[in-house]
Amino acid sequence: MPGVWVLAENRSQTLELLTIGRFMAGKIGTSLSVFLCQDRESAGDYMACGADEVLLLPEIAKDQSLDAYIPILSEEAGKADPDLFLIASTFRLKEIAARVATRLNTGLCSDCIKIYFNDRSGAVEMERLMYGGAAVQRVVCQSRPIMVTVPPRTFEPAGTESGRKGQIRSLKESPRSAGRVLERKRRERESKDIREAKVVVCVGRGVEKKEDIALARELAEVLRGEIAGTRPVTEELHWLPEELCIGLSGIQIKPELYVGIGVSGQIQHVTGFRDAKVICAVNKDANAPIFGVADMGIVGDLYDVVPKLINELKK
Amino acid sequence: MPDIVVCFKWVVDEAYIRRTSSGDLDFTSVDYKISEYDRNAIEAAVRLRDAYGGSVTAMTVSVPEATKGIKDALSRGPDNAVFIADPSFRDLESSQTAAILGGVIKSRMSCQLVICGEGSGDFYAQQVGPRLAEILGIPCATYVQKITIDGGQVIAERKAEDFVEVVAMPMPALVTVLPDIGTPRIPGVKDTLMASKKPVVTLGKGDLERIPEASLKTVGMKASRMERECEKFTVDTADIARFVGALQRKGVLR
Repeated sequence: MPGVWVLAENRSQTLELLTIGRFMAGKIGTSLSVFLCQDRESAGDYMACGADEVLLLPEIAKDQSLDAYIPILSEEAGKADPDLFLIASTFRLKEIAARVATRLNTGLCSDCIKIYFNDRSGAVEMERLMYGGAAVQRVVCQSRPIMVTVPPRTFEPAGTESGRKGQIRSLKESPRSAGRVLERKRRERESKDIREAKVVVCVGRGVEKKEDIALARELAEVLRGEIAGTRPVTEELHWLPEELCIGLSGIQIKPELYVGIGVSGQIQHVTGFRDAKVICAVNKDANAPIFGVADMGIVGDLYDVVPKLINELKK
Repeated sequence: MPDIVVCFKWVVDEAYIRRTSSGDLDFTSVDYKISEYDRNAIEAAVRLRDAYGGSVTAMTVSVPEATKGIKDALSRGPDNAVFIADPSFRDLESSQTAAILGGVIKSRMSCQLVICGEGSGDFYAQQVGPRLAEILGIPCATYVQKITIDGGQVIAERKAEDFVEVVAMPMPALVTVLPDIGTPRIPGVKDTLMASKKPVVTLGKGDLERIPEASLKTVGMKASRMERECEKFTVDTADIARFVGALQRKGVLR
C-alpha cells in the first residue's frame, strides 16, 4: 500500500513529522503511516494526530544500534512502495536514511527545510541549504520513494482530532547487525538548552584566550541571556561545551537577540541564527562579513567595547 | 595494521561565492579547497596509521582540475592516492559518488577501514559515507568522535543526541568522523615537496563500471536572503549609549 511514511526517534519529532506528513498525504491523495519503536501506548495518540496506520517495529537487543532496522525498513518499503518517506534528521537516523535509500536505489533530500506540493506538475518539491547556508537549493526526486530527512523543530507538532481511527500492524524481527554496542554514555549537559534562550551572546575567535570568555559571560548576565560559541571556540578549542556550538553543523537558534562578540560571520555559523529577531555584532574588522548580516554592529576592539557596553546596560 | 582509505571532496570555497542583485549565485571569483570536514578525516586516518601501522590511501572523485586537491591531500600525510576524474564529475549526486568509490574499492583495492568526513562543505548531504558502506556491504558508524582498533575490530564512539554510543564493528568497516577526531595539521614546505613524490593512480570514466543516473534534480538555486539593517556604531561612549537605546526601542532588553 503506497502512502506517506514517518520515522523519528522520539515523540516530539514524530508529532512534527505528522504535521507535514498529514498535509502531504492529503495533497498526494494517500494514507499516512508512522513507525513506532518505543512507548507503544503512543499508537492511539499518533492516530488521533493523523496517522492512518501505526507500524510497530520490533524491539532490538540492548547491544544493537538503530542500524538493525535497515533490513526491515528496506523490505517493507520494497513491498509497499510508499510515495514519500519522511525521516527525522537525527545523528543516527541520517545514516539509516542514506543506507535505506541506497538499498531502494532512490534519492534522499538531506536536511530539508521546506516541502511543497506543486499543484500544476504534481511533483513534491523540497528546499535545502547549500554552501554552508549561502544558497537555497530546490530539488525534485525522480525515483520512488521520495526520501527526505527533516531537522527537528522544522514543523509545529500535530494537534489531535477527535474521532480519528487507524490500524496497528506489527513488523517482524530484523536480523542482527554486524556492529555491537558496547556502551551508551549519557552526555551530561554542562549548560542549559540554548534553543530556549531569549538572548544569546556568542563568542567567536576574536576572543583571544579562554579566560576572556568571562567578559562575554558578564555581558550575557547583564542582558539576562545565555552564552554560546562558534565552531572553533567549541568543537576545536573546547573553550565552551560542544552543545553550545551555533551553526549549520551545531545548533540552530531563534532568539530575540543575538550578540556576536569577535565573531567574523562565516556563513556556516550565520546559518545557525539567521532567524533571530535582532542581530548585533562587535568586531574590530569593519569589513567582517558579520556586519552584512547584523542589524546593528559596533566596529571596535571587543576588549574596549564590551566593558563599555556592560556599563551602559547597567545604567 | 589496517590499510585505510580516506575519501575527500574538492569543493568550492563558499567564502568566495557572491550574490548578484537578482539573487543568483556568482561563482566567477571562487577558489577551491579540500572540504573542511574531510581534512579532519585525513588527519584521523594518518593518526591511526601512525599508531597502528598500515597505510593510508587518499581518494577522491572529481573533475581533472582537482589534481591540486590530490597534492594537498598527500601533503597532509597519506602514503598514496587514487584520483578518479572526468570533466562530467562536477555535480555528481551522493549516490553516484558513492557508487563510483564503491566500484573502485571493490575491484581494485583491499582495505580494512574507510574513513569519510561528516559531510561536504558544499552540499553537506552527509550521504556518501553511509551509502558507500551499504555498497561495500560493511558495517558503518557515523559522526564518530574517537576511533581505536582492537584486533580485527574497530571501536568507534559515535555521537547521538543525548548520549555517545560506543560500537564495536568487525573490519572492514566504515566511519564518518566529526572535527573532534583531531585538528588537521598544516602542511609545511617539506610535506608539500614530499607529496609530489607519492604514488597516484589516476582513473577515468573508461575504467569504471556504469554510473547510476541521479535521482534528485535541482529545479532552482538562489542565494539565501538576509535583509538586516546593517547600522554601524563606533566605540565612543555616545555611540555605545545610542546602541543601547536602540536595543531598548527594539524591545529586546529585559
